[in-house]
Amino acid sequence: MNQVFMTGIGMLSPLGKDRQASFAAALSAHSAIRRAPEALSAGLPNVLMAPAAVEPESLLDSQDAGLDRATQFSLVAAQEAMADAGIDETPSDADRFGVFVGIGFGGAHTLDAMFARYYTALFGGEHSRKRATVVHPLSVPRMMANASMAAVSMRYGLRGMGNTYSVACASSAIAAGEALRAIRHGYLDAALVIGTEAMLTPGSMVAWNALRVMARPNADDPAASCRPFDRDRSGFVLGEGAAALVLESRSRAERRGAVAHAELAGYGCTSDAHHLTAPSVDGQVAAMRQALDEARLAPDQIQYLNAHGTATDAGDVIETQSIVGVFGAASRQLAVSSTKAVHGHLIGAGGTLELALAVMAMESGSIPPTAHLEHPDPRCTLDYVPLQARHGCRIDAVMSNSFAFGGSNASLIARRMTG
Amino acid sequence: MLEQLIKKYLMTGAKVDPVKFDQPDLLVSDLGLDSLGLVEMLFEVEEHFGFQIADPMQFQNMRFQDMVAAIEAEVRAHNNGELPEIQMPDSSASPSQ
Repeated sequence: MNQVFMTGIGMLSPLGKDRQASFAAALSAHSAIRRAPEALSAGLPNVLMAPAAVEPESLLDSQDAGLDRATQFSLVAAQEAMADAGIDETPSDADRFGVFVGIGFGGAHTLDAMFARYYTALFGGEHSRKRATVVHPLSVPRMMANASMAAVSMRYGLRGMGNTYSVACASSAIAAGEALRAIRHGYLDAALVIGTEAMLTPGSMVAWNALRVMARPNADDPAASCRPFDRDRSGFVLGEGAAALVLESRSRAERRGAVAHAELAGYGCTSDAHHLTAPSVDGQVAAMRQALDEARLAPDQIQYLNAHGTATDAGDVIETQSIVGVFGAASRQLAVSSTKAVHGHLIGAGGTLELALAVMAMESGSIPPTAHLEHPDPRCTLDYVPLQARHGCRIDAVMSNSFAFGGSNASLIARRMTG
Repeated sequence: MLEQLIKKYLMTGAKVDPVKFDQPDLLVSDLGLDSLGLVEMLFEVEEHFGFQIADPMQFQNMRFQDMVAAIEAEVRAHNNGELPEIQMPDSSASPSQ
């Protein structure tokens, strides 16, 4: 059984163009949430979004211009993570190096643009109708869910086992967990794990709006509209972006003298088999316990938990009950925060983004707060690090939770590097 | 102009060396396009004229000039024998979305 180290982190998030900028904004509770422009709000009033801090195209070569936006985010995050890990060309053990991607809605931009163009032409005048069927020949390979895995594996020549996990909000947490298992059990020696999501399109906005889970704009300050664990919560805000992690077996990392951010030590994954969208305490508890068991840690050895914390009534209350169920008395010493208040819900990208932020909190000893938590919900009884970051903390292990529509629960644990 | 449209795409979008077009007997197979690349090239034409070219593979073993002539014939067949005016794009490398 191999130990697995995290030797590279990269991200392009609503909070910043890279990991340092993103983490700094999370610490200062600088929210990236804003009102959506009219072209995106699709006729809906009050649509909010958390767009990426910079356009991914501006950080890529012109040859990547036609790729789906989610694939562009993947390439940007991968670039930073690989550079951070000190891997600048195709590794000599590329057959043992895989790419694992988590994404919720593959190809949303490509699909939305193609359908918009097609139906507009089809239902237009006679001249336009005749042209309707002329569609870009790469539409399918651009929109396929595994487009990121294809682009990233080709970019770095990584030929090991790799897969794409589409498990809604738990997609990239599960991608990271499955990569951890692949290395732990010797199928691979290294993996580039990516969570990506780009679905800020009119077509997806109307669909999400219909589900009644989206936050209403805060009258005083739209940036403060997502309020996890607050009695004035009204739901989440869709974000976009990507985060990438380089995972390596301990022996591979040590052999090349890599400096690791953390050990990825535990992963738990369960299915509720209960409800299409409602969360369940039993499934969440089981996922967190599996992760603790694998990491061989007792609950009181975790100091910080980045919560799924979507700012929905059911989500916040159930997760709180689950954490209390797992941590018991230790939950009173546990710092819990939801950074979704500032970066929004990145769906498929959320798992890797939030795990990365938790690892950076462990490395720096600074815990990002739950922003806008001014009026705690009395049913939410934990220490949510309200409003202000906490500095100078000794953190030996962190947990990150990702709970998905469809009832999939994933929990990951990272440990501080010793010595 | 149809030839210019195709050449411009090949040079900017597909990064074909412009020097190649100095050869009068240039073959389509010398352009370095795989079958997907050939289809992408044809899309440049299709987008301009609003129809899908019937058989991309027919061009694979042609000379470049014969391919241009064959495409022109197909465009004319869709436009009552006329070749509609071509508006050259600023950059054919831009995404089509």
